[in-house]
Amino acid sequence: MKKMKLILIGMAFLSFISLNSISAQTGKEIAFKVYNRPTAKDGESDMKMTLINKKGGKRVRNIHQFYKDYGSVEKKILFFKSPADVKNTSFMNWSYDDANKDDDQWLYLPALKKVKRISSSSKDNEFMGSDFTYADMEKRHPDEDVHKLLKSENMGGENCWVVEATPKDQDDMYAKKIAWISKSKLLPMKMDYYDEDGELLKTLTINKIEKIGKYWVIADETMHNVQKNHKTVILISNMKVDQGLNDSKFTQRAMKKGL
Amino acid sequence: MKKITEFILKHSILIGVITLIITVAALYSIKQNVYIETDLDKYMPEDHPAFVYSDKAEEMFDIRDAIMIAIENDKGIYNYSTLKKIKSLTKDLQKLDEIEDKDDVLSLYTADNIIANDEGLEIERFYKKVPKSKEKLNKLRDNVRTNEMIYKRLVSEDETASVIMAKIKDNSFSDSLYNEINLLAEKYSGDGDRIYVAGQPVVEGMMGSLMPKDMQKMFPLVMLLILIVLFITLRSIKGTIITILVVLISSIWTFGLMLFLGYPIYAITTLIPVMLIAIGVADGIHLYNHIMLEHHDNPDLSKKDLIRDMIKQMWLPVMMTSVTTAIGFLSLLTSEVYPIKYFAVFTGLGVMIAMVMSLVFIPAMINIFGLSKIKSKKSGEQEFFKKHSNWFTDIVINHRKIWVTLTIIILIVFGFGISKVWINSSFLARFPSSNPIVETDKFVNDKFSGTTTINVILEGDKKDKFKDPEVLRMMDKVASDIDDKYKEVGGSLSVNDFIKRMNKVLNEDRQDMYKIPDDKNLIAQYFLLYEMSGGSDNLWEVVDENFQTANLRFQLKTDNSKTLNSMIKSVEKYKPAFEKIGVKLNFAGGGYKLLVFSDLILEGQIRSLFLSFIIVIILLSLMFKSIKTGLIGVIPITITTVISFGVLGLFNIPLETTTALISSIAIGIGIDYAVHFIDRYKKNALLTGDKYTTVVKTMEHSGRAIAFNAVVVILGFLVLLFSEFKPNVALGAIVSLNMLTSFIGTITIMLIVMYSANLYFKKNE
Repeated sequence: MKKMKLILIGMAFLSFISLNSISAQTGKEIAFKVYNRPTAKDGESDMKMTLINKKGGKRVRNIHQFYKDYGSVEKKILFFKSPADVKNTSFMNWSYDDANKDDDQWLYLPALKKVKRISSSSKDNEFMGSDFTYADMEKRHPDEDVHKLLKSENMGGENCWVVEATPKDQDDMYAKKIAWISKSKLLPMKMDYYDEDGELLKTLTINKIEKIGKYWVIADETMHNVQKNHKTVILISNMKVDQGLNDSKFTQRAMKKGL
Repeated sequence: MKKITEFILKHSILIGVITLIITVAALYSIKQNVYIETDLDKYMPEDHPAFVYSDKAEEMFDIRDAIMIAIENDKGIYNYSTLKKIKSLTKDLQKLDEIEDKDDVLSLYTADNIIANDEGLEIERFYKKVPKSKEKLNKLRDNVRTNEMIYKRLVSEDETASVIMAKIKDNSFSDSLYNEINLLAEKYSGDGDRIYVAGQPVVEGMMGSLMPKDMQKMFPLVMLLILIVLFITLRSIKGTIITILVVLISSIWTFGLMLFLGYPIYAITTLIPVMLIAIGVADGIHLYNHIMLEHHDNPDLSKKDLIRDMIKQMWLPVMMTSVTTAIGFLSLLTSEVYPIKYFAVFTGLGVMIAMVMSLVFIPAMINIFGLSKIKSKKSGEQEFFKKHSNWFTDIVINHRKIWVTLTIIILIVFGFGISKVWINSSFLARFPSSNPIVETDKFVNDKFSGTTTINVILEGDKKDKFKDPEVLRMMDKVASDIDDKYKEVGGSLSVNDFIKRMNKVLNEDRQDMYKIPDDKNLIAQYFLLYEMSGGSDNLWEVVDENFQTANLRFQLKTDNSKTLNSMIKSVEKYKPAFEKIGVKLNFAGGGYKLLVFSDLILEGQIRSLFLSFIIVIILLSLMFKSIKTGLIGVIPITITTVISFGVLGLFNIPLETTTALISSIAIGIGIDYAVHFIDRYKKNALLTGDKYTTVVKTMEHSGRAIAFNAVVVILGFLVLLFSEFKPNVALGAIVSLNMLTSFIGTITIMLIVMYSANLYFKKNE
């Protein structure tokens, strides 16, 4: 279970274009294709997260983030650069491939000089008051959903498959999701999330895709909760991948030490 | 005037036809344009600083009154069935069209539970799947008991009840929504669970629909009784019908014109027909009284000559009374409340229409349909009245000192009462105690922190002000001081409750850490932790996202204005202390606006009352060409007003917006009585030259008409005492009381003053 893919590398999925992909596909095949593509081993970037409420009021957080993929576990650490009163606060997340194992999460509060564990009992919780839930940022195993290829159409300048994913778990917070997946880049260009009553809850729009090294990366995306009319915009910049980051970067000691 | 009279006599049928056409047109206009404004906000002056501020704050913190739905189970709510009902009811409510966001429904099912685990913070729902096992139910109960933000707020202290709070879209409360919620309540009651629906939107909405409904039920009864009493006094079917027609037609014209010009019907303007009936019948009664007395005294005079005499003798007093009454009402234009301005203008207009109708339509109708025959028996009645007049005149004239002393005592006693008058904007107080809303509201108030909310808005001079421990502690002090001082304050909610809760759970759940920490950055980091942990948007109802402005929310168990005002005054005492630390203190919310609004109405009412006194004195002085007469003419108004307000103060009956306005009726009625009486007195004085005869004759003529008028309207309006709706009971009582005091005041103390002042008898004595 790899978490927070989206926020970390902006769903930086390796583009691999095979000739097979042009021929007829099932929804399930497409889902596995997206899931199984190689990704960067590690990376770091600046992240600017802007929360926009329904009155248009904005709150901006500037963060520097590191992540590393260990195979069975993916670790990441976020350092707050602003606002000032939370400067040097850091957040660490270990996400396990084992679906039965919950994430480990910690927050270091410099004012308390203590690392606090955050319960990850609910993946339906919103991440940092944003419109993304933890689950939204996970790389979700295709077997958890039933996939159905609806059609092909253009979205955001890309030729896309439109795939509907319906969770097998009745208690999932979404009744279904519909994704527009770029055929050439294997990245979603747009996603619609439907709530448990089957009403449209959120729309994810990809505004900009960049190529970093050999990976296609989402550099600008907006999640719009249409029921609350609340938006979250995430901008990724200064991204570096495959630098061989040291394991000591992803410890509670590192959290306290700061950038 | 002569020309007009001849025109009326010549074209009586034409006048009838034109009146009919205009009335039909007015009815059509009413039908086409009818629009009843029930939105209370529309009554308030939008540009008033208090309202401007409140609206801004309401927007900022999403302040809206909530419908409260309580579920009660004597065996306690911690059982599978009741908890399942809370969950289902919450979901059903979330699906209503009037609910915008799912977040707008707060219940034990949707609320956040901020707790500590071994190493950190955890924010989760109390339950998602309804707990079934004893163990899980006990855990839920423990979670609630140890959460200061939930226990006693969403779950009652005795754990037998839980409340769901549903914030509906602005002004979306309707009868159908109320029915829908009641259907839900019905669906979920049973198996030992009882459901109670309460809250300010319900109370307001119920009142909005109950008052017109009650009026619709009671008004025909009022009219019927007036019709009967009018017939008994006038002894003429024709006279009765025509007099009532005048009042009805002027009401219809007024409403037709008002709606045609695009003014909606406000609760206040529905009082216009009430006013016109109470005031308007006077003209008809005086005209009929005159023509019938003349007819009786001079049976040989022709119908047309009788009409000529009636108009000649009566047009001046009818016009004087109407113009003064109308202008008296125009003094209400000084009010800041727009519906009151409309009320003033259109009541004044209605009075003028009633005047024209009385002077044109009544003679025309008498001309067409003739007068009722004088019955021989009637003379006995006349004599009886004459005897009464003599006897009464003696009582008044021979015991002047007693009457004057009595009046002075009454003025002093009731004047003292005025000083104790207070206005109550409480809606709940207006319902009969048998109404289910009274019971449910009481239940919710008994079990939880209260159905009335007062928002104290604290505005910092810079960002992150409400992360500053000094500022937060000040706010905490206000919250606890006010909570301790008033037993009606059931609790408060502010950003402090979040901070203290987090400080406690992050410090090993130590009760002594349930306080505001000293470090500003720590507080900031708590909130980051809160958000990281998936804390809900409820936080933004008590502080803005920049932490510059905070909302300290008090829950009260009553909406009584006295308590609310006292509490607000207590909070205002902290203003200077807050200003010292760069924080401005203000209030917001529906309850507060209503309070300000009531004060505005009362203030405006008192101001306009004084103004109308001055206007009336000037007008009467001009009309009678004597300042002395002008001053004497306001005696009945003065007495009526003093008693009207004094009674409220003495018996601790709070004034309400509508009853405050209806007091204006004192002026309309008082003037009518005084002018007719003085005018007749003057005519008789010039005619007889003898003071005693003048008094007796005036009693026989005007005194009789005034008595008729008073009896008709008093009996008619007394019907309202049987109304279910308290403001309508008050309305009936006030109108009746005003009629009675104006009547007695005119024929006793005003007469005595006229008599003693030798009005119109300067040279004779």
